[in-house]
Amino acid sequence: MTTVLAAQGLTKSFGDLVAVNDVSFEIAEGETFGLLGPNGAGKTTSISMVAGLLEPDSGAVHVNGTTIRTRSTAGRSDIGLVPQELAIYPDLTAAENLRFFGRLYEMAGAELEKRTEEVLEVIGLTDRKDDLTKEYSGGMQRRLNIGIGLLHRPRLLILDEPTVGVDPQSRNAILESVEELSGQGIAVLYTTHYMEEAERLCDRVAIIDEGVIKAEGTRRELVSLVGQKDRIHVVMAGDVAEVARIAAELDGVHETSPSDSGVDVLADEASKLLPELLACVSSTGATISGVEVFEPNLEAVFLHLTGKALRD
Amino acid sequence: MSASTRIAGKDLKLRLRDRSAFIIGIVTPLALAYIFHLVFGNVFATETLDLQIGMVDLDDTEISRSLGEVLAEIEAQGILEITEFDDAEAADAAVEQGDVGAYILLGPGVGAAALEGSPFTIQVVGDIDAQTTTQVATSIASEFGSGIGRAQLSVATAVHLGEGPPPDDVVTWGEEAAQRPSAYTFSDVSAETRQLDASTFFAAGMAVFFLLFTVQFGVLGVLEERENGTLARLLAAPIGRRSVVVGKALLSFALGVTSMTVLIVATYFLMEARWGPPLGVAVLVIAGVLAATSIMGLIASVGKSAEGAANLGAIVAVTLGMLGGTFFPIGQGDDLLSRLTYITPHAWFMRGLSEISGGAEWTAALPSAGALLVIALVLGTFAWFALERRLSR
Repeated sequence: MTTVLAAQGLTKSFGDLVAVNDVSFEIAEGETFGLLGPNGAGKTTSISMVAGLLEPDSGAVHVNGTTIRTRSTAGRSDIGLVPQELAIYPDLTAAENLRFFGRLYEMAGAELEKRTEEVLEVIGLTDRKDDLTKEYSGGMQRRLNIGIGLLHRPRLLILDEPTVGVDPQSRNAILESVEELSGQGIAVLYTTHYMEEAERLCDRVAIIDEGVIKAEGTRRELVSLVGQKDRIHVVMAGDVAEVARIAAELDGVHETSPSDSGVDVLADEASKLLPELLACVSSTGATISGVEVFEPNLEAVFLHLTGKALRD
Repeated sequence: MSASTRIAGKDLKLRLRDRSAFIIGIVTPLALAYIFHLVFGNVFATETLDLQIGMVDLDDTEISRSLGEVLAEIEAQGILEITEFDDAEAADAAVEQGDVGAYILLGPGVGAAALEGSPFTIQVVGDIDAQTTTQVATSIASEFGSGIGRAQLSVATAVHLGEGPPPDDVVTWGEEAAQRPSAYTFSDVSAETRQLDASTFFAAGMAVFFLLFTVQFGVLGVLEERENGTLARLLAAPIGRRSVVVGKALLSFALGVTSMTVLIVATYFLMEARWGPPLGVAVLVIAGVLAATSIMGLIASVGKSAEGAANLGAIVAVTLGMLGGTFFPIGQGDDLLSRLTYITPHAWFMRGLSEISGGAEWTAALPSAGALLVIALVLGTFAWFALERRLSR
């Protein structure tokens, strides 16, 4: 896949504080890349450099091969930015907000009108497009905030904690929108301190703390760093000892243990093992009444790498 | 259309929607100028334009009649209105009734005393409520008396030198000299003494005072964008950082010029303000708006928040307005206050307007406009670099 963003050795200091130290990562077309870290970890500083808002002290940002600089407009059209704070004009309507920012990206006429309508449809604001945005709910404003970033069809979309302060329903709508973006070939850089969002959305995640990327990879790769395994608990009626013995021989299973309600299985990857495991249980004549899967999460990885919890 | 004009256009739409610029830039200064005009306008007009002076000549000689001729010349220029009375009682009655503000009384024997070189008295009687008129009458009488004194000196010198002119010639010279001395300078056109009429003064004063409040809606918008979170989005767009600053300055300029133009036209019709040649006024307005924009740009570059900068801007606007003589005329002498007044764009604007409102050519506004442009250039340069630096943080 084509590399859309290449951030190389980004470093930025504010006085004595080194906010970001030698941060590097790449994002390919259609890939969603997460920067996961607590507040103050250096996520916003990193994306500010990627978006050309801040000049790095050292390092470079390339988007589609073009170097991004604060004093140059080159490459900016390929970037869509959704800042953490709402970046909309409350005394303009949704359509006026979209048209204004569209014109800054050299969109005009029928093309701008068509694209404005498309984006309004995507973010579900077509019916309210002519209302002033100050009359919108927080969720609607958030959706518009994202819509503006998408308007000019960027190849790289930067989302800086887009769900902060959003109600659960709107949050889910935002996450669904982001999930659709990768299907459209857009490279997404997503910062969050919500582990669940990173796990749900991101193909790869970089864990960042105190301005340094501690680890990077797929969720599976990161979890493997910790050495934790998936745990499957099969609730069943039957010969639990026999089931535990047979299951222990399956590929990818590390350990099994019978219990009063069923069998616990420790495995590398629960999702891959599950069909085979259930078939194995059934073959013993046992009756399955429930299955629970416990996967080690990025919270545990973060704790392992930094010695503190994500929300500390 | 450039990115700057798009940003300025968006901001203009926002300002028109919340009506704040309209209220601050046009309604408030117009209302205040009109109120000041109603409260103070008549006082100014009585004291400066309606000079009614009487004259009583009880001497009736060539010399005393020459004062009447001098007064008639001044009256012909439209500066005074002269009424002659037969006696002091009639003149007193006219003063009592307010028909004249003051009168000059030449008693019997003034002409003879002048010819003999003896002391003589010219009386001025004035209404205590018409001090300016009385002052003018006193000045005329004093100058006339001085003229006679110079004639006496000439005659005395000629006689003392003994060069033998006939005595009749000496009398003639004395009379001619006494008739000639009038160096009255009622049409003084120096900048130090020229003043705007009340209507124009208040209209111009309020217009330029509120100009600083009006232009802040543009340049302080940089801080509002930052607080709204939209600045990041503007800076991430492919438009260049300067476009943001230029866009804000453009709006300041447009709002400033529009509000000044509306105020000038409105006060011309509503208050009969005499602004002077349109070209000269336009030059002053453009230079003044640029200077005001630079001042507010500088404030935007140091303000920590939009509200804080607006408060600082208000303090600066009031201070400069007071110092610049927009509420009351500041003396133009050599004292510190008079010198300080010229650090303000307000003073230069008012001075430039004074230069052209009395009928001078529009080019008379150029020195003041030049001073305004220097203020705009110096402060604008500082503001430009400071704002650019701020956007890079």
